[in-house]
Amino acid sequence: MTLVGLAARNALRNRFRTTLTIVGVAVAIIAFVLLRTVITSWNIAAEYSAKDRIATRHKLSFVISLPRRYVDNIREVPGVEKATWMNWFGGKDAKNPDNFFANFAVDAKTFLDVYDEVQLPPADKAHWLEDRQGAIVGSSLAKQLGIKVGDKFTLQGTIFPGDWVFNIDGIYVSSRKSFDQSSFMFHWDYLNQALPERRRDQVGWVATRVSDGGRGADVSAAIDKIFDQYDTQTVTMSERALNLSFLGMFSAILKAIDIVSLIILLILMMILANTIAMGVRERTSEYGALRALGFSPGHIRFFIIGESTTVGLIAGLVGVAIAWPLVNKGISAVIEENMGGMFPYFRIEPITIVLALLLAVALGALAGLVPALQAGKLTVVNALRRIE
Amino acid sequence: MIPISYNLRSLKVRKTTTLATAGGIGLVVFVFAAVLMLSEGIKKTLASSGRPDVAIIIRKGSDAELSSAVDTPSVGLILAGKEVARRKDGKSDGVGELAVVLLLDKLGTDGVSNAALRGVPEDVYDFRPEVKLVDGRKAKPGSDECVIGRAIRGRFKGLDLGQSFELRKNRPLKVVGVFESGGSAFESEIWADVDSVRSAFGREGIVSSVRARLTDASQLAAFKASIESNRQLGLEVQRESEYYEKQSEGTSLFITTLGTIVAFFFAIGAMIGAMITMYSAVANRKREIGTLRALGFGKGAIMTSFLLESLFLALIGGALGAAGSLAMGFVEFSMVNFQSWSEMVFRFEPTPQIIIGALLFATAMGFLGGLFPAVRAARMTLIKALKE
Repeated sequence: MTLVGLAARNALRNRFRTTLTIVGVAVAIIAFVLLRTVITSWNIAAEYSAKDRIATRHKLSFVISLPRRYVDNIREVPGVEKATWMNWFGGKDAKNPDNFFANFAVDAKTFLDVYDEVQLPPADKAHWLEDRQGAIVGSSLAKQLGIKVGDKFTLQGTIFPGDWVFNIDGIYVSSRKSFDQSSFMFHWDYLNQALPERRRDQVGWVATRVSDGGRGADVSAAIDKIFDQYDTQTVTMSERALNLSFLGMFSAILKAIDIVSLIILLILMMILANTIAMGVRERTSEYGALRALGFSPGHIRFFIIGESTTVGLIAGLVGVAIAWPLVNKGISAVIEENMGGMFPYFRIEPITIVLALLLAVALGALAGLVPALQAGKLTVVNALRRIE
Repeated sequence: MIPISYNLRSLKVRKTTTLATAGGIGLVVFVFAAVLMLSEGIKKTLASSGRPDVAIIIRKGSDAELSSAVDTPSVGLILAGKEVARRKDGKSDGVGELAVVLLLDKLGTDGVSNAALRGVPEDVYDFRPEVKLVDGRKAKPGSDECVIGRAIRGRFKGLDLGQSFELRKNRPLKVVGVFESGGSAFESEIWADVDSVRSAFGREGIVSSVRARLTDASQLAAFKASIESNRQLGLEVQRESEYYEKQSEGTSLFITTLGTIVAFFFAIGAMIGAMITMYSAVANRKREIGTLRALGFGKGAIMTSFLLESLFLALIGGALGAAGSLAMGFVEFSMVNFQSWSEMVFRFEPTPQIIIGALLFATAMGFLGGLFPAVRAARMTLIKALKE
């Protein structure tokens, strides 16, 4: 039997305790994977953003709109392929006002051109473009709201007062992860014409497709330069930069989750260290015997660290094996349906799995370190004399 | 009953194991208590922002000041109400303010975040006497000067005494003072002249909200009836304290939900840790258990004794965790409040209930973790125990 095998087999000596330890550490690994997935899913909007899209907003704030004519100015900038505009509507479900989801007023035709990942059945698309009072909803949101094509749906305006009734003309799916499936879109014209004169012809922001994604920064600069001389100035940035900048708002929460996932690792290590320390204490006289037989202190240390690493690895594998289906098949469906606005794609990233396994092994080794060093220091006489 | 000192000494003899197990439980309790403290802090900050004798008037249907708009002519009408208190000079004690958000670079991150900007009239300090300047001076009325809340100071680029940030082209807003207001949400705001903010945000002729101090808190119903019965105004009256309570609901629910899920997972891990420790304690002390039985202690006494030991173990952890969480009282947490869409600074607010709750939580973990090992100890027959 090899030394490694011997070290690993030590873990089987007290099967009940080892099993409990593995369960405990596996639970910690599951919690760790879940927390990391919250963070990676939060970042996903930035990661999957379209490379060839840039967005123009008011320089000061999201709450100030831009004049509608800015869209035409932007279209004339070299490198701009297509441009569309939209307004944040901020309406609430009239039947269930606490249920938050994103709703926008969009220019339907150009919207579907610029966001070509938003896919509708051709018949529904044609119908929506014709229907002034029509709206489309994402498949996740439709499921959550329990609505289908042909239904009527009322949005209660918060920024734009009143009850707004829409015909649901289509349910869209997104062919890429750069657009979520939890939004509600209706015609900008419908909103604009209903507004009082002085609030008309204002757009929230402009989304632009550039012909060459690599030149996005130049085009952005060119756009901002045009409006620099006007009273209303703009900031244009890539979709990725825009999404990333939003993450700044939640940085405190993300940091807190980071700290909490560090704490779970500490708990994990304590469970492991405890088990190993107990095993070592029980076997002290054995180590004396091994030393007497000619094994070196290094061997003893190797046995102990080998055992704790093995337990860590097994627990890591068990945890990952449970977390993967639990999150990707179970929790993700619930979260994507109910919190689709925040987490459009709640999935474990492969890197999280690798990280969890590496950490399980590393922390296993670390947990065995102190008991190993202590056991290595024992003299043969002392070790043999010590009784439990 | 077996003397408690027996258990305490047993815990002391196995100090590594005791510390590892108690440490695990302590970390769980720490996270649990910290989450509750943050949720409490959010509630407290927003609750201290609202006074019961102040009414806030916003447009009907808008959730918050940010999405509300009230015509300036209505302001005079509202403040002329007979329920509104008068100041010494005979003027109505009320203000019409403009609440907007401003995107600024958030220091310490790569991103931007929304800072709350409030356009205030000259007499705002008369209306909110609790607001005190702690540094610098008040802004000159009608100038491009502003004051900032104590909590937001230094959290954004340009937000510190003597610094400035751009509101309109070539007209930076200079920070001339820092104020405090008893830990309320106002401490996370920038206060500038209402007319400067209006023209920068294109909101001429509009305020977001009107606040009025009533002659007595009980006058709210009468005031509400008189304003809301005028349908042409289309306004909604709320007690300021209730308004702020509603503003904190979403964020504090989010924190509590996330925290509870995390604490639940962690608790399973820590409980298993306690179980491992107690099972080993029972296994290693068979001879002691036998002796105790031989001395005449019954099964019940043995079970109680081991259960108590587990409870002590958990309480040591609980006390460590609770003490650690108290240290969080010095930490300030800055995050986006969901309802107001702007960055707000919250404190971790310890309350006796939270500390007691955290200790009870630890006790529950100790009880559940120690139950099965204690049953096993009680079931051991005298002969079998002494044979070891």
